[in-house]
Amino acid sequence: MRKNHIKGFALATAAVFGLLACGGSDAATDTTVAETMETEAGDDYSMLKVAVVYIGVPDDKGWTYQHEQGILELEAELGIEVKRVENVPEGDEAEAIMEGLAAEGYNLIFATSFGYGTPMARVAAKHADGCFQWATGAKFLLTSEMGGEYATFGDIPANLGTYFGAAEEARYLSGIAAGAASPTGKLGYVAAFPIPEVIRGINAFTLGAQSVNPDATVQVSWTKTWFGPDTEKESAESLLAAGADVLAMHQDTTATGLAADAVGAKWVGYNSDVVEAAPDAWLTAPTWNWAPYYIQTALAVAGGTCPSDEYYGSMADGMVTLGSFGTSVDEDTQGLIADTAAAIIDGSFAPFQGPVSDQDGNEVVAADTRPELLDLLGMSYFVKGVIGSPKG
Amino acid sequence: MMRIPFRVVFEQRGETPRRLSLLVPLASVLAALFFGALFLLATGYSPIDTYTNMFRDGFASFNGITDTLALSTVLICTGISAAFAFQMNLYNIGGEGQLYLGLIGGAWAGIALGDHLPTLIMVPIVLLCGALAGAAWIFVPAFVRSRLGTSEIVSTLLLTYIGASLIKHVIYTPDSFFRNPNTSFPQGRRVADSASLDSFGSSRLYPTFFVALIIAGALYWIVKRTEFGYRINVISDSPRAAHYAGINARRTTIWVMLISGALSGLAGAMLIVGPYGKIEPSIITLGYGYAGIVVAALARNNLGLIIVSGILFSGLRVGGNNLQVTTDTPIHIGVMLQGAILLFALGGEAFRRYHIHVVRVQDATARKAAV
Repeated sequence: MRKNHIKGFALATAAVFGLLACGGSDAATDTTVAETMETEAGDDYSMLKVAVVYIGVPDDKGWTYQHEQGILELEAELGIEVKRVENVPEGDEAEAIMEGLAAEGYNLIFATSFGYGTPMARVAAKHADGCFQWATGAKFLLTSEMGGEYATFGDIPANLGTYFGAAEEARYLSGIAAGAASPTGKLGYVAAFPIPEVIRGINAFTLGAQSVNPDATVQVSWTKTWFGPDTEKESAESLLAAGADVLAMHQDTTATGLAADAVGAKWVGYNSDVVEAAPDAWLTAPTWNWAPYYIQTALAVAGGTCPSDEYYGSMADGMVTLGSFGTSVDEDTQGLIADTAAAIIDGSFAPFQGPVSDQDGNEVVAADTRPELLDLLGMSYFVKGVIGSPKG
Repeated sequence: MMRIPFRVVFEQRGETPRRLSLLVPLASVLAALFFGALFLLATGYSPIDTYTNMFRDGFASFNGITDTLALSTVLICTGISAAFAFQMNLYNIGGEGQLYLGLIGGAWAGIALGDHLPTLIMVPIVLLCGALAGAAWIFVPAFVRSRLGTSEIVSTLLLTYIGASLIKHVIYTPDSFFRNPNTSFPQGRRVADSASLDSFGSSRLYPTFFVALIIAGALYWIVKRTEFGYRINVISDSPRAAHYAGINARRTTIWVMLISGALSGLAGAMLIVGPYGKIEPSIITLGYGYAGIVVAALARNNLGLIIVSGILFSGLRVGGNNLQVTTDTPIHIGVMLQGAILLFALGGEAFRRYHIHVVRVQDATARKAAV
């Protein structure tokens, strides 16, 4: 059901944009949506010069790979060529590179890492005619109160937008798969840094696992690195040694999966659908689909507007998805996951649906309520059942 | 078995001919560019376009030259840090870690002293605190090197990893002094306004560039003209002679290493008063400290040449970075060209130090027999 929904969305998007790309020559089949968008954008995207700044390389089979898939779709849909700049270190060299892109006439620039925020805002301020999009960012962090360079929120360049998504939705679903696959109820989580994004994912995963096994616990091991195969492997092995029989992760490599596979444990991946890395261990993975956002943003810029909101995607708009299932996820569990996904997508359920208690048993989300977006974005506590400290 | 009838023989030169000192580095760079051109041709890119773009983006446009000088500000400091230690045959491989401590020391001063002093006083204090923190980080390696002869190569390198963990610790630990208290995002706490310099106009170049030039000049003068520099030279030429001359090698070792550490720490503090204004955990991925070793090697540890090699290397990096922006050349090509130039420059050393000739095998055997 979930898959159908997503597929349906993708088809609809493809149909609409396909028509656009054809220039609406076949007027009889044009939908109203396509017509409105067409009048905004036309079928001429020659004024659109799109560039993307990558923190890594597109073939990392992880974070950057997933963005690359979205960019490839953007190129195919609009028939444009996107400039890629790879392996760009965060900091003032990134500023020089983005400045160079803007000077070369690129008027829509995506940057795919949190650390690009300050340099990107500086370049955006100098190039008011360009549109700048900061993945995983949050504009309020650029205010001086938060340690940034702008006195007030209003001083932040208006041609800067951010985009990210509710990975917690897919995390919750992957937790269901993990909880159902674990005979002992002892799960492990190899986690990068004690920051809200990661903490949110651990909590959602735990709540998902507890939805099928109320006694399930999740032990966390911090690696303090996004990309560190050796450290990730050590963390994974320590969790396995402590008795975990399913491992999840918030990392950029498959090291956790290989470690789990070596001892016959199960694995929930992240970022990409890489079942082939360890087919026996694979359960599923929360993954990203950046294509819809890249396409809609490019169309908006072609139509003369620069989205400058904090865009928070979800399973409903297709930015967050769940990967394919491994052989050890049984039919019943797949059905349960599909039902839950449908409930998340139609809004009748949310991963942090109250009541939710923290590690000490204090109620952090009251019954029948959901946390505000800002509470989600700043989450700094672990829910009941997580073993470890959210302080790292 | 097939025998190769020729053999290459390396004979150490007593004295390097003066013309070679200039000719070899020049020929090395040309050889590297030639090698790079072959590589570019083989992969389907135009060497002329690539080099023209690299040169323009690194040296010949407003943004290019200012970005190059901005990057060289830090690399000159870490470069003299490595080269200065090498004056006494000490290898400070841990400039990277001392730079991290410079970030911490500089940020500490910039936050703790608050916004009370004028910039003209505040910035030197921040720089000084960064330098002191860098010196403190190398103190233990310096002490055990001078007393026990423990390899400073290993100890300074290993301390770099501890320094990286320390940076992560001060940013990712809640309630850390260096972390912004208003958000649960791991953001560094910004230093006082008086501890931040403005860049020149629309460029990313900060006045700290001139501090780096002055420091480079001062170190050159110290080594060439002062009694301290004289002691360094005597010790590095002959520790035994230095001992007989009554020079305290232990104490000099410690001082040289402390100064070397301070220079890398200073580089870190320059990032605080310049472009960053706070501890940014991503700085530990930039490798400016390690690049300093390369800059020193390119200058053959000659303190008078560090400014040149620092600017040259920065230009290559800036131009290489921009290759991706202005052309379709992949990042790997830019990195490969930087590596090739370094490799050839270092390889060229062999021609400076050794007289190299190709001889027939019989002659070589005869030579060996004669020895």
